[in-house]
Amino acid sequence: MFSGLGGFLSDGHNWWFLLFAIGAIGGAIYMINFTKVVHMVLSVAFTFISLAGLYVLLEAEFVGFVQILIYAGAISILMIFGIMMTNHRGEEASKKRPVYHVLLTIGSLGLFFILFYAIQNTSFPPGTFEAGEDNTLEIGKLLYSQHVIAFEIMSVLLTVAFIGAIVIAKREED
Amino acid sequence: MLDLVGQPLTWTHTLIFAAYGVLLLLIILGFVTYAIYFERKVIGWMQGRYGPNRTGPFGLLQTVADVFKLLIKEDTIPRKADRPLFILAPVITFIPSFVVVATIPFTANLIHADLNVGLLYYVALSGISTIGMILGGWASNNKYALLGGMRSAAQMISYEVPLVISVIGVIMMTGTLNLHKIVEAQGDNFWNWNFLPQIVGFIVFMIAGVSELNRTPFDLPEAESELVAGYHVEYSGFRFAFFMLAEYVYVFAIASLTTVLFLGGWHAPFALLAFIPGIVWFLLKFSIIVFFFFWIRATMPRIRIDQLMGLGWKVLLPLALLNIFITAIYMGITA
Repeated sequence: MFSGLGGFLSDGHNWWFLLFAIGAIGGAIYMINFTKVVHMVLSVAFTFISLAGLYVLLEAEFVGFVQILIYAGAISILMIFGIMMTNHRGEEASKKRPVYHVLLTIGSLGLFFILFYAIQNTSFPPGTFEAGEDNTLEIGKLLYSQHVIAFEIMSVLLTVAFIGAIVIAKREED
Repeated sequence: MLDLVGQPLTWTHTLIFAAYGVLLLLIILGFVTYAIYFERKVIGWMQGRYGPNRTGPFGLLQTVADVFKLLIKEDTIPRKADRPLFILAPVITFIPSFVVVATIPFTANLIHADLNVGLLYYVALSGISTIGMILGGWASNNKYALLGGMRSAAQMISYEVPLVISVIGVIMMTGTLNLHKIVEAQGDNFWNWNFLPQIVGFIVFMIAGVSELNRTPFDLPEAESELVAGYHVEYSGFRFAFFMLAEYVYVFAIASLTTVLFLGGWHAPFALLAFIPGIVWFLLKFSIIVFFFFWIRATMPRIRIDQLMGLGWKVLLPLALLNIFITAIYMGITA
């Protein structure tokens, strides 16, 4: 199980992977544990940035930086705005019964073993992955050939949401 | 640089990365020191004053003295502030501003990360600084700081949209997001540079760029007369210096980006002048843009917050969208 550990640690990519993976999981854990909402948003932003790092490691730069632009930038700021507009005090965590903790432990251990079993039993096809020379270009080509219908439906959906937002804002103005 | 990242991580490589980082940091610190001096001098002359002229010859050491003052100042943290966030906010603001410089090509082969998505990288990371500003305002637990932070976020989000859309014309013409290739696609004569065919995009980019930098006439986040000093009102000493540093590093970054996208990067304005090294041309164009920022700061009054939002959403955004349509129609006809 740990036979390839020496080779694993001598590769620069794997160190970055460890760093980003720990960052992503750590951010998520802190997000659940913090009591102040602004701190939670910051941890989530940290998770988003770490995930973007993982995408870059997988040679998907476009997805990685769009992840930072949309999730770490726009969505985090949107959440901070939402939090500041509403009133939040650092809420005391209510006392949970011991049964709750036992069930929680069983549930998370169960989930861990299912995932562990699935990963251990998956066989990955051998061979090297050929990333496109310019993957932004390749994504563009695919969007306008194979996935053009999905792309068009998405744009219609976004337009509808956009008009809806204007309508709601107009109604509040009156 | 990027091929080294893929290789096994040895101590030599780590040292090379660290040395590149430190070198770039020193260059930028030097730029910031003298950009502040230059700004004060230029504004002084424009307003019929001398500007700093006491510390060192011609006042050249004024900024050094100012920074030294900030370093030895007492570092105050308000008692009711959110301490961890208060400490973290200047860091979150500064790091992206420095990291975006990594992808800017100064000359054909001077240090930079040759990223396929260079432009997207710049836009994505510069957005993170906004989080630092809002958090700084929020963590200070001060109403003026919070108002400044909120204004800053609203302004930067509103102007990031036209800023990004205005460069899509350039991306369409060159067919790449790689900053190095965008410069290469522009010719050796100034009429081949992107700013002439993309004049609308260029103007929108410059206005949105000034607004992104939170500089006059768009310096509402730190409007002294109404908000004391905006989101960093509670900061002092070194932490305050970091906010200011981040602002000036963004001046550096936006001026470099404008040079790269619209003014032909390291290319000479006439093909027969190409014997002069590219870095000279880059620095010249870069300095002109930096001067332009100082110039409008000295001459323009601050606009109101509603005018600012109106300009961003009702003027710049439609213009930038129109620019895309015109570019697309032109490319469709000529292709």
